[in-house]
Amino acid sequence: MPTPLIINGEHRVSWRDSMTPLIDVLRDEFSLTGAKSVCREGVCGACTVHIDGQPTVSCLVPIGTVGDREIRTVESLAAGGELSPLQQVMEEHDVVQCGMCFPGILMVLTSFLHERPHADRDEIKAALVGNICRCTGYERVVDAAAALARRS
Amino acid sequence: MGRPDPSTVTMNLPRRDARDKLLGRTRYTVDRALPRMLHAAILRSEVASARIVRIDTTRARQMPGVRAIATIEDAPGMHGIGIADHPLFSSGVVRFHGEQIAAVAADTYEQAKAAARAIEVELEPLPAVLTMAEALAPGAPLIHPGWKDYEVLFGGGARGGNVAWEATVVRGDTDAAFAREDVVVVESCFRVGRQNHVSLEPRAVIASYEDGRYHIETSTQVPWTVRNQTAKLLGVPPSQVRVTVPPVGGGFGQKFDCTLEPYAAILARKSGQPVRLVYSRQEEMLTCLCRENAEIKIRSAVTRDGEIAGREAVVLMDCGAYGGEQIFLTTMTAHTLMGNYRLGSVRLASRAVYTNTPPNGAFRACNGVYNTFALERHTDEICQAIGMDPLEFRRRNVLGDGDIGSTGQVFKGDVLGPMLERMARMREASPPRKELAGDRLYGRATVVGTWFIFVGPSTATINLNADGSATLITAGVELGQGTMVQALPQIVAHELGLHPDDVIVRAADTDAAGFDLGVGGGRTTVSVGAASRAAAENIRDKLLKAAGELLQTAPEKLALRNGRVEIEGKEGSGMAIAQLVQHIHRTSGPVVGSGSFTNPGVPSIPGCAAGHFIDAIDIPVFNVHDCEVAVDPDTGHVDILSYKVVQDVGRALNPRAIHGQIQGGVTQGIGYALHEEHTIGEDGRIRQGSLGTYRVPLAQDTLPIEIELYEGAPSIGPLGVKGAGEIPIMNPPAAIACAVANATGRRVQQTPLTPPRVLGMLSGREAEVTLPHISANWWDNVFRRPG
Repeated sequence: MPTPLIINGEHRVSWRDSMTPLIDVLRDEFSLTGAKSVCREGVCGACTVHIDGQPTVSCLVPIGTVGDREIRTVESLAAGGELSPLQQVMEEHDVVQCGMCFPGILMVLTSFLHERPHADRDEIKAALVGNICRCTGYERVVDAAAALARRS
Repeated sequence: MGRPDPSTVTMNLPRRDARDKLLGRTRYTVDRALPRMLHAAILRSEVASARIVRIDTTRARQMPGVRAIATIEDAPGMHGIGIADHPLFSSGVVRFHGEQIAAVAADTYEQAKAAARAIEVELEPLPAVLTMAEALAPGAPLIHPGWKDYEVLFGGGARGGNVAWEATVVRGDTDAAFAREDVVVVESCFRVGRQNHVSLEPRAVIASYEDGRYHIETSTQVPWTVRNQTAKLLGVPPSQVRVTVPPVGGGFGQKFDCTLEPYAAILARKSGQPVRLVYSRQEEMLTCLCRENAEIKIRSAVTRDGEIAGREAVVLMDCGAYGGEQIFLTTMTAHTLMGNYRLGSVRLASRAVYTNTPPNGAFRACNGVYNTFALERHTDEICQAIGMDPLEFRRRNVLGDGDIGSTGQVFKGDVLGPMLERMARMREASPPRKELAGDRLYGRATVVGTWFIFVGPSTATINLNADGSATLITAGVELGQGTMVQALPQIVAHELGLHPDDVIVRAADTDAAGFDLGVGGGRTTVSVGAASRAAAENIRDKLLKAAGELLQTAPEKLALRNGRVEIEGKEGSGMAIAQLVQHIHRTSGPVVGSGSFTNPGVPSIPGCAAGHFIDAIDIPVFNVHDCEVAVDPDTGHVDILSYKVVQDVGRALNPRAIHGQIQGGVTQGIGYALHEEHTIGEDGRIRQGSLGTYRVPLAQDTLPIEIELYEGAPSIGPLGVKGAGEIPIMNPPAAIACAVANATGRRVQQTPLTPPRVLGMLSGREAEVTLPHISANWWDNVFRRPG
């Protein structure tokens, strides 16, 4: 049974079983390997994508439940090849280490800062509570996001 | 030829890998695929100890999609560190819950898993030894009854029974020290649990078998170890194994050993197709190669003035079912638990003990973390016993210039003393946050720590290209620490007068780069850096010689800078390096340089240490940490109010990156101190099988760390650097435990300090740790005999 999906503005068709987690279809079928499959139980946030703008852990979403809602992955953030303001501020602040958690963190913070563009550090920290990062100790991620919030 | 001016190093170089990581384009091992690639799954034991009666793969072979199955017959070799005690698959017996029994490759992962489940295994249960106390009890079942027959890879360690390895230090007359009338004897016991690395990229590999050789593309810190161990296990010459390493999504020591690569290699050869093997998160949690659980009994004879006349200790380290890294780590107790302070005499035993539990491994600063916790808590208990201020005690006793370490090594330079002064100034500069504690119990502590740079051999080759760029070839790996994208191009560029952006750094490939000990132990900047610098010097000599002839100037009057060779004092007088390289290409061929490095070695007192892999440390690294805590007396919750770090870095090339390492490392240490722990169930299975039950620090669990980098301590590293990434994790458990002890007035003997444990301490319900299986007579605990 083919499952039509809208991914980063393109109409795609998955041939996997409708109960297949979205993360597997993104990574294995469409080679969108930005989102990471880390815990596969919704704890770590590394597989976060947007579904109709809402950050969602794609390991817990069977593709058959997505319907015509629009899926956006980290690969779509840099429109026309230009880093998004959030990606840019993360680069400027030298935040990245191993990098595995960033696709998820970027998707969560992009959506959060869209809703709360002037968020302070505490609010940003609270927004990040579903994303595990093992390298950075978080604070510089928060500093970078807060710097962006101050600019807006 | 004048050396380049050290001040011209490009500082705080931006990471060249950051952009693709932010774009989601970086291809880690888990993101890679090859045409015709198969997927592998492992059949693991679901009991901790058993005899294997029968393994039948007949039914599994007929399952859909199955292309190859591997068992012990395919891997005759044994591997290990110090002792080759570890087969690739359960060999005759199962020794831990989760042990590999067979591996299957199939067209899909689901098919591989289904076939693995279909392998018939008949087991006869054997008694399981799950704790070190049980393993050391008289008459305990032997986990390796054939231990005497194992190949010894490194001599000198005492062994026997369930003790995989014993390292000891005996220096001076400890009996006399403890018998002195002017000393107070203080004894402390500690116990710590296991810590899981939780690298977000799990262990992962894609193996192929091409032209009679194995190609292993893997998420590792140690490409050369993977090459050599895989060959040893498969019984083939190491030259038949090639290892390449894509960007690694976190290591922290977990990937400092060869683990899953040989399974994929065997399956690739048997099937004739590339094979991908990626451990599931559950496999990563249950068989992680954790920082080991350990038990420590330490006793000191101290005068009222705070002089440590004698110190003795026994440290039991649970290596799990196979010796692994713990055998090496017995060495590091001498330099950590017996570090930091001047000791009149020393008696130390470190024993790696076999149990029927998953094997442990290396984790950032390894046993330094809990040995420092134990030593610093013991130090505070001494201060309490003799009535001395803990800071004053540390000021008087920390190792300084010319002081002798536990194994007799002479330390150079006053480092810890001035670092304590620096911390005192940091404390003075910011007011205590006691008011933030409110009604909660408030405590503070300043602690010190000693660790080392795991120096060892590295090599580098540089091709200087006709466009003026340089290609650096090493077996270094980028794990996220930044060395490969920052320090190495900086060091090479500095020597050759290039911009770091013009230095291409090749990803590790054992077919291209020579031997290297691997990325870990804070060694990359130092060892790979020194080899890279030597290679660059080699090229520099060639460039200046050729330029000298062209410009009719003595080479020592020439300088390389800004991509040009110039006559000193005459800007614009020389030529572009690219032009010079093209000239050399025509006259004597392409420009290539090579360099090697290994540790020069440091003397210790002969006969003092036994069974040690390293008797003295080439590059010590020091830490001073300070923290303030609030403890909620109703819930037992520990809240960190402030955290300060003074870290010895030798010289900081990238202060911004080092700050990032400290923030991240301290946060991991906070996790270990407060809530991270694996425990073993009665069935020998690790109880925490997921990230839902094993709690790592989240964004709201940490705080901004206040940091000062201490520069100028002696280092043999290039440009005076020391590795900075490993030691930040070493002191947080010590600092937090000492602060909690000060806040509560209770002895802190264990980590993690979870709310139930802290409540138990406050109410007196938490059982005291006494370690009765460690005898009060030190000699009863060891194989070593006096004399």
